[in-house]
Amino acid sequence: MLTVKHLAKSYDGEKKSLTDVSFSVQPGEVTVIIGPSGAGKTTILRSINQLIRDDDGEILFDNTDIRQLNRAQLRQARCRIGMIFQNYNLIEPLTAIENVLHGCLGTKSNLAGIFSIYRNREKEEALKLLEKVGLAEFAYQQCRNLSGGQKQRVGIARALMQQPKIILCDEPIASLDPKSTITVMDILRDLATNDGISVLINLHQVDIARSYADHVIGINNGQVVFDDRIQALSDTAIASIYQKDANSEGSVVHEF
Amino acid sequence: MNSDVQQVTNFFNTKRLRLSIILVIFGLAYIGASIGLGFQTQSLLNVQAGIAWLIHNFIPNEASQGYWNEIIQQLFRTFIVAVASTTCAAVVSLFLAIIGAQTLTPAITVSWVIRCLSSLLRNIPIVAWAMILLFSFKQNDLTGFLALFFMTLGFLTRAFMETIEDFGTEKIQALQATGATYLQVIFQGLLPEIAVALMTWILYMIENNVRDATLVGLLTGTGIGFIFNLYFKSLRYGAAGLVVLSVIILVVAVELISNLIGRLLS
Ligand SMILES: Nc1ncnc2c1ncn2[C@@H]1O[C@H](COP(=O)(O)OP(=O)(O)OP(=O)(O)O)[C@@H](O)[C@H]1O
Ligand SMILES: [Mg+2]
Repeated sequence: MLTVKHLAKSYDGEKKSLTDVSFSVQPGEVTVIIGPSGAGKTTILRSINQLIRDDDGEILFDNTDIRQLNRAQLRQARCRIGMIFQNYNLIEPLTAIENVLHGCLGTKSNLAGIFSIYRNREKEEALKLLEKVGLAEFAYQQCRNLSGGQKQRVGIARALMQQPKIILCDEPIASLDPKSTITVMDILRDLATNDGISVLINLHQVDIARSYADHVIGINNGQVVFDDRIQALSDTAIASIYQKDANSEGSVVHEF
Repeated sequence: MNSDVQQVTNFFNTKRLRLSIILVIFGLAYIGASIGLGFQTQSLLNVQAGIAWLIHNFIPNEASQGYWNEIIQQLFRTFIVAVASTTCAAVVSLFLAIIGAQTLTPAITVSWVIRCLSSLLRNIPIVAWAMILLFSFKQNDLTGFLALFFMTLGFLTRAFMETIEDFGTEKIQALQATGATYLQVIFQGLLPEIAVALMTWILYMIENNVRDATLVGLLTGTGIGFIFNLYFKSLRYGAAGLVVLSVIILVVAVELISNLIGRLLS
């Protein structure tokens, strides 16, 4: 489904944020990336849909290297890669249904997208997805009036509107209360198990990873230091993932 | 511990010293400027006599009531010029701001050119704009319109550009991640988010331009500024006072309306 090989990235051309990262993600599985702050988790996730241009390596999505695509092809590929964010990144003055429909912009012509001309099939799909995430009665609410947990669920519905093969989640629960955390994680788990979508999540909470993940990738200082099934994640493994690296200048700090 | 306390004391002493120095510098600047201009501070005491003269002559009397018709006509013309120039400039500004904002610019050189252009337009005083344009466009409403247009274009481009840059890249990227095109991101993401801020700037600029249009009219011989000049030079002070009064009423009305619209928007 998704295979990352020898990925490398440096923001300033000097300090390496990623050095030789390789891993792969299976359909129908929840894969969690854990690691200390500044380890490079966000950089990995954003390289996958090329919001960040990485320096070197291969990112095989459906057997084509995303890094080699031209603009139009990249747009095509992005259509099948959903993404949700810690601060939701919804268009706040617009309603929930409008934000969900943004998920199909990638398949529309420029003009149809600009003037919000959606097909009936797409409107039905959007309503169905809002129902799926439990927000049917909020379809016409402005997103700025929704709670954090509700916003994140709109974010998930927007990602699902893309009919994605994979969903990238950058700390999706970091700003949520415990109850919303469970709602959101249950939805993501369900997408993997029942819809066969690959779910790749950056997380800070090891206990959440334990209850929801199939596979864990541990990142420390831009390198993969753990890559195994969740059952293999022992306390010593966790300690080594969060270990403070001797040659990084204090950027690696265990956050909680 | 003691040395810590000493450090805090020193901190405040330095701060006080700095403030005193600044005050002394302002004082010296005032004295220097007074001497340079031959301005005598005690002449401020005679200001009340001047004000009394103003009040006596400029209070509109019965004779000036006959001018209402002409004043309202010209006031309306001035208002239209101000609104038209602002709205036209706003449309062009929005386009320039989008391709000039660092977060959305197609090329960093484009951003630079637009930044310089808007700075240039903005920093030429409105009076200078009017004088320059008078050469090519002579005394008519178009000259005033263009002077306001160029100044507003410079100002709004800068203001819009900052609004767009404050909006950040995260939400833009979130839409790009769905495969949306550049134009789709702008119309579906950027514009809905910044619409209220844009309206606020435009309303502010209309207020400002109603005031400036009066001044520009004085130079270009059009609108309310022109008749003020006319009455004033022909010693019809009462009528001139009426013009000032009407401009104040208009500006306050515009401000009230724009506040109302602002409240409805948010
Ligand atoms: N835009 C940027 N410009 C320069 N350096 C950056 C940028 N983004 C990230 N970095 C650096 O790259 C490294 C990895 O950052 P990244 O955001 O991927 O870490 P992370 O694992 O997501 O951390 P966190 O858990 O705090 O979100 C850090 O050292 C960071 O300082
Ligand atoms: Mg991060």
